[in-house]
Amino acid sequence: MKIGLVCPYDWDFPGGVQFHIRDLALTLINWGHEVSVLAPASENLERASWFVDAGRPIAVPYNGAVARVQFGPLAAARVRRWISDGDFDVLHLHEPAIPSLSLLACWAASGPLVGTFHAAHSRSRALNAASPFLEPALEKLSARVAVSEAARETLMGHHGGDAVVIPNGINFDLFAGAIPQPKWQNLTLGFVGRFDEPRKGLAVLLEALPSIIDRHPEVRLIIAGRGDIDSVTGHLIPATKDHCEFLGIVDDQTKAELLTSIDIYVAPNTGGESFGIIVAEAMSAGAPIVASDLAAFHAVLDEGSAGRFFTQGDSEDAARVISDLLDDASARIELSRRAQLAALRFDWSQVAAQILSVYEMVAIPGGKVHLGEANLLTKRRAGEE
Amino acid sequence: MNVGTLAISFLFLLALLGLYLSFSAGRLDRLHHRVETSWAALDAALQRRAGVALELASSGLIDPASAALLAAAAHEAREAHGSRAQAESDLSANLQLLFPTQADLEALIHDRHGEDLVGEVEDAISRVQFAHSFHTDAVTSTKQVRQKLIVRLFRLAGSAKVPVEFPASLDIVRE
Repeated sequence: MKIGLVCPYDWDFPGGVQFHIRDLALTLINWGHEVSVLAPASENLERASWFVDAGRPIAVPYNGAVARVQFGPLAAARVRRWISDGDFDVLHLHEPAIPSLSLLACWAASGPLVGTFHAAHSRSRALNAASPFLEPALEKLSARVAVSEAARETLMGHHGGDAVVIPNGINFDLFAGAIPQPKWQNLTLGFVGRFDEPRKGLAVLLEALPSIIDRHPEVRLIIAGRGDIDSVTGHLIPATKDHCEFLGIVDDQTKAELLTSIDIYVAPNTGGESFGIIVAEAMSAGAPIVASDLAAFHAVLDEGSAGRFFTQGDSEDAARVISDLLDDASARIELSRRAQLAALRFDWSQVAAQILSVYEMVAIPGGKVHLGEANLLTKRRAGEE
Repeated sequence: MNVGTLAISFLFLLALLGLYLSFSAGRLDRLHHRVETSWAALDAALQRRAGVALELASSGLIDPASAALLAAAAHEAREAHGSRAQAESDLSANLQLLFPTQADLEALIHDRHGEDLVGEVEDAISRVQFAHSFHTDAVTSTKQVRQKLIVRLFRLAGSAKVPVEFPASLDIVRE
């Protein structure tokens, strides 16, 4: 199959969506499909043969966050040329509901189109206002996919209709096969992510730390990821600070080793989480998990049976649940086993197979993706380039 | 304002309306086409599921009572002269009843043949669910556009029939 994937965000500023697209592309290529990925990129780097650079992204504020995306007539012309050169059987657009390359591609193309929706957030006025402009493009999608139940509800709340849920993928073997490192063992808690982002909830965990230290004086909290250390630890007393270790940004291999070594992975997020890929990764590494009681985490943790939960934002509750679990080695072993088993369904081999079956269902025999009727503006531009 | 400018603005507005009408008609046409395609995909997925269910019934992998139930439901779904939606819902209910958990389905895997067949059953079930969701989505979008005032006023839908959802419950939840 010839498959075109469109990424809305800056390829050189990687986040969950970019990793998802990269791993999906690699899995499909591995299975013998022809894949081309179109994405904006801020650096001039050597690229893999399947990657097509759509030019520099622009940072725009959208719905309360900054999105590094690309749009405008020049980008539209590039998208059109990529589509007409690509001769794709299926075009798969990621996050097509934000103003980006994906939306442009959705506008320009006709034929078998698949859209994957990643974001989960509550209804916003800004998005309601944008909705009438997006609708004519989004209704061209033959298949809508959401990465989680939360993302599905977000989509249906804004645009109505229906969508199927296919989860994010992970490299199960990488995490399940990682070798535990003694330096991260023995009463350790782990946290991975952009730790200075408030909704990731590290503040809740740090607030819980003193009472955990009371019950377990040897406990250590190991934090990996990007962020400003002083902004999160500034107000802590030195005695608490000494129990924290910051690793900075780590590669996938190191992350896997960390997750497989620690005694508990803590996901203290306070909201805005659509899927929780890091929790799925920690599960595959066999880390016992304590998470805030978000719907997204309940879903990932096998409807709650593969982890322990505390009330989101409640550091006292977090301290209690974490300390209890540190006391109970046999419960940790059981949680670890269940979590790892439950994480198997997130492996790319499973996830990509489901996505591929969606492709097969929408692909029309003999009917390729082609350019729709251009409006006057884009037609002229495309001719110029 | 003289008569000339008035006439020009009127013509301009008329042209704008014309453009918008042609845009809306194109949009609606595309949506009706999408409904046809999604229905064809759902139809194919349902037929395949019934076929795979019959194959499973006659495979000797399940007990005779289950096989009889499954065969009857699959046959009914294929032939349904009355309500096809009801027959397909019944087949879903049967599949759910016979294999309430993933383990029940996987228990059928004794050899290569069993493995292939179980894989096909799972695939057929999930494709039906996908196709049903895509079809519902297409129908909902189409209905929304058809309800717009301008579409009704200028009868842009023409003679195309109002699309209908396939009113079956096809979801099978495995524990």
